[in-house]
Amino acid sequence: MLCPYMGMNALARELKRGSTEVLILALLEERDRHGYELATLIDQRSNGAISFHAASLYPTLYRMEGKDLIEGRWVEKAGQRRRRYYRITAAGRKTLASQRSVWGTFFDALNRVARIRHA
Amino acid sequence: MDWMSRVHNAFSDAAYHPDDSVVEELTQHAKAVYEAARADGCTPDEADRRVDVLLETWRLEADALRHRSRRLPAVAPPPVTTPTTAVARFAGFAGDLRYAARLLRRQPRHALLTILTLALGIGATTVLFSVTYGVLLKPLPWPNAERLVVLKETRGGSAPRFGDFTNAAYLAWREEASTVESLAAWSQRIVTLTGVGDPERIRITAATASLFPLLGVRPLIGSFFEARNETSPVVVLSEGLWRQRFNADPAVLGRHLDLDGEPYTIVGVLPDAAAYPNRQARAVVPFSVRPAAGNHLSLFSAIGLLRPGVTPAQAVAEGTARGRFAADTGMTTMAIFGSNGPVAIGAQPLREALTTGVRRPLIVLLVAVGLLLATATANVAGLQLARTTARAREMAIRAALGAGGARVTRQLLVESLLLGLLGGAAGISCTLVLHSVLRSVLPADFPRLDSVGVDAAVLAFALGVSVASSVAFGLLPVWHVRRLNLVETLAEDGTAPVGAGVRTRTARARRLIISAQVAIACILLVGASLLGRSFMALLTADRGFDPAAVLSARLAMPAAIYRTEQQRFGILEELLDRLARIPSVTEAAFTSELPLTPGGSTSAFNLTSAVAGGATVRVQASPRIVSPRYFSALRINIVAGRGFSDLDRDSSEPVVVVNQTFARRYLGDAPIGARLPTGAYARPDEQSRAWTVIGVVEDVRYVTATGISQPEMYYSYRQMGGRLPVQTVTVLARTAGAPRAVATALRAAVREADARLVADVVVPLEERLLTSLAQPRLYAVLLGAFASCALVIAAVGLFGVLSYSVSQRTRELAIRAALGAGRGEIVRLVLRQGLSVTLVGIVAGMLASTWLTRVLSTQLYGVTAHDPLTFVLVPLVLLAVGTLACVLPARRAAQLDPQRTLRGG
Repeated sequence: MLCPYMGMNALARELKRGSTEVLILALLEERDRHGYELATLIDQRSNGAISFHAASLYPTLYRMEGKDLIEGRWVEKAGQRRRRYYRITAAGRKTLASQRSVWGTFFDALNRVARIRHA
Repeated sequence: MDWMSRVHNAFSDAAYHPDDSVVEELTQHAKAVYEAARADGCTPDEADRRVDVLLETWRLEADALRHRSRRLPAVAPPPVTTPTTAVARFAGFAGDLRYAARLLRRQPRHALLTILTLALGIGATTVLFSVTYGVLLKPLPWPNAERLVVLKETRGGSAPRFGDFTNAAYLAWREEASTVESLAAWSQRIVTLTGVGDPERIRITAATASLFPLLGVRPLIGSFFEARNETSPVVVLSEGLWRQRFNADPAVLGRHLDLDGEPYTIVGVLPDAAAYPNRQARAVVPFSVRPAAGNHLSLFSAIGLLRPGVTPAQAVAEGTARGRFAADTGMTTMAIFGSNGPVAIGAQPLREALTTGVRRPLIVLLVAVGLLLATATANVAGLQLARTTARAREMAIRAALGAGGARVTRQLLVESLLLGLLGGAAGISCTLVLHSVLRSVLPADFPRLDSVGVDAAVLAFALGVSVASSVAFGLLPVWHVRRLNLVETLAEDGTAPVGAGVRTRTARARRLIISAQVAIACILLVGASLLGRSFMALLTADRGFDPAAVLSARLAMPAAIYRTEQQRFGILEELLDRLARIPSVTEAAFTSELPLTPGGSTSAFNLTSAVAGGATVRVQASPRIVSPRYFSALRINIVAGRGFSDLDRDSSEPVVVVNQTFARRYLGDAPIGARLPTGAYARPDEQSRAWTVIGVVEDVRYVTATGISQPEMYYSYRQMGGRLPVQTVTVLARTAGAPRAVATALRAAVREADARLVADVVVPLEERLLTSLAQPRLYAVLLGAFASCALVIAAVGLFGVLSYSVSQRTRELAIRAALGAGRGEIVRLVLRQGLSVTLVGIVAGMLASTWLTRVLSTQLYGVTAHDPLTFVLVPLVLLAVGTLACVLPARRAAQLDPQRTLRGG
């Protein structure tokens, strides 16, 4: 979470990490997806604005899996190699809901102070 | 180079090399990036460069690519080397145990199911063992117990109407006994305890001074009374009463308390552990056996201490011989025994006498619960076998690595032992829980309840049963593994040949187990059904009266408080009047005898009998004093003449109503108008009055449904000269609604009739009936519970076997479907397999039942051991449950997709 005494770099890192998790949870809320699909979608939906490197995707996924927010499993489909699909867990849904409200409050505050708008 | 190797290589000099599944996932991502780049129009080199950038960033973050799966890591089996030293052997055992524990943790559902099944079986068996052990086997608490015999007296082969022994025979034997060291006599009664806090109705024992030395018990404090103060008002408290009323105060000796208004001096305290004949008695007062002078005959219970080396048969011979010299008590003997024949004495070892009524039911229930345990163990064996089959490859590999047969056997047995002990521990917990409610479940008249408990012997039994059952269910998988063919098992590719799983030895063993389980369930169901139907028959038996919607209450009016018979009469007359005015009471009556309770009064007289062709016969009959509305309150049918009316008073002709047995035995075809020469309870100056029979009522089986009806005479209390010659009566109120709802009003009416009078045991008559049937009900309920458990266990077992068989036969079933077998045929195939197993079990079970139910025949009432309804219904129930267990696997078989199955999906 955001702490008032964080340095700018720490704040940026925290924001990025927090926002990545929210993004992934939001995407998995729609349906189960594999890693590559997640990477592509984040890139597309933010129009490249969130410069999110694929390098940090898998560490993030594994970390979230360790926290029981998502669950990965190998799925075989006819005529394809097996792929690892991720699905959101009950704990993940709860986190997503609370994060959404935190981010909402944060953007409201930013808006009031700096007139920044979020989509 | 293929993609996978490329990703592997990327991590070759990284700080951490991700595991295979991560590499596989990253490979797919890299490949997708490459393909996307190509699709965007990049050249292969450009696309490769993008991938290389990606791989480089992953390499830098390699440490963060640890897969944090929450799954437990694979369990490595213990080493297979052969230990040479004892330490190594023990270490090997500990390793096996650790391995077994980890295997269980990995399959928690399997472990839980197994442990619960075992806990049920072991728990139920242990509880029943603890009861059987405590009641039948545990040493009796009295030092002289092995030489104690309970004595019974008969005259001309007839037992007395109440009590066991007469003062005449007792005194005749006691004078010059050579086979017994001493005799003791006792009886019990309910008295009102006052003078120490709130008044309370308590049960006390009146015993001769010889009882305590005969049992070999010592007082907790103070002393017991001696022969010389058998007539003094002294009392020995029970330990329970002493703790409850006197806070275990040692200074209690010499203090006084009142029993039925008479003062008694406390001389000692009897330890509860040595209480005889039961712990219900809260105090012991002296009892003096008086000579049978004139017609005075008193009845009590008697117990004897055999001299060392003397057998009960020798004591019987001596007692009978000396009993022949007993004083003649003429008519009284006739009244009590219904015979004036020669005295015969019976002697039964105390342990046997205490448990005579429960020995056979307990053994039957112990066998039943043993069968339940067997069926539970069989289920676990089935589960273990299925698991072993699935682990065949593991076992084969271990054998290939050099594990000897003994090594694998040991490991499998250690696994079973661990399961068995866990099940046993859970079973003991069940036992402890059940023991806390046992006392409220078992009937109050169940013998030796105090000696039932969870002690070292019971725990040892539970441990033994756990080990024995774990070996039993562990042996089957061992036998299976030792037969494994190494090459075949390893060569097998997981797709079983057609028809496999149906014809293998293992499959046959599992089917045999299921059949045996069905047979056991069948036997238990038959037993439970017979006992259940017998209980229902007892409950609904025609007793000659209708206990429904009748509230009963006992009233004690001890002579010490209610000095005159006239006083008692007045109170009761007022009480009946008050009861009749309670709105929901439709009939109010009383009787001098307590229905559904053994004991009572009896009388005898000479009568010129029409049946005997005008000769004089000796009549034995039970007199009862009732109020006029008694017959209508209990709905007792009047078969001839009339019942009492309010017009039958002291001033009118004295009348009597007799029951059918009396009329048939003594009065012949024309009972109405016959004259009985004397009235029971009549005053000495009225003895010569003749009483006219005005009615005959149906026989009433007051105590048990199976009891033989005795001749009975009913007198109206209004023709007793304004007296009530008895001290205890039972008040009956037939109600319009639920009888319990009237209890408060009844208690109030009693208080209003006399402030000192307390209504005791205010219960609906139906409840008294249920209490009197507590034992048969308990046996039926227990056997029913065991049968239900066995049925569920068998059904689960059948379901498991069929599901497993279907999963093993998917290939075969798919081929059948592909070759044109319809769904119906597939379903029928599976059903046939399941039902054939069930049918074999049913046939075996029914055959065994026809033979086994003979041991139940003495416990049955109203049904035979070969009750047709039971023998038709039980197989139907089993068949229905069996079909239900088959339906799910059969449906799954029918829903198989042949294409997918055969493609190997």
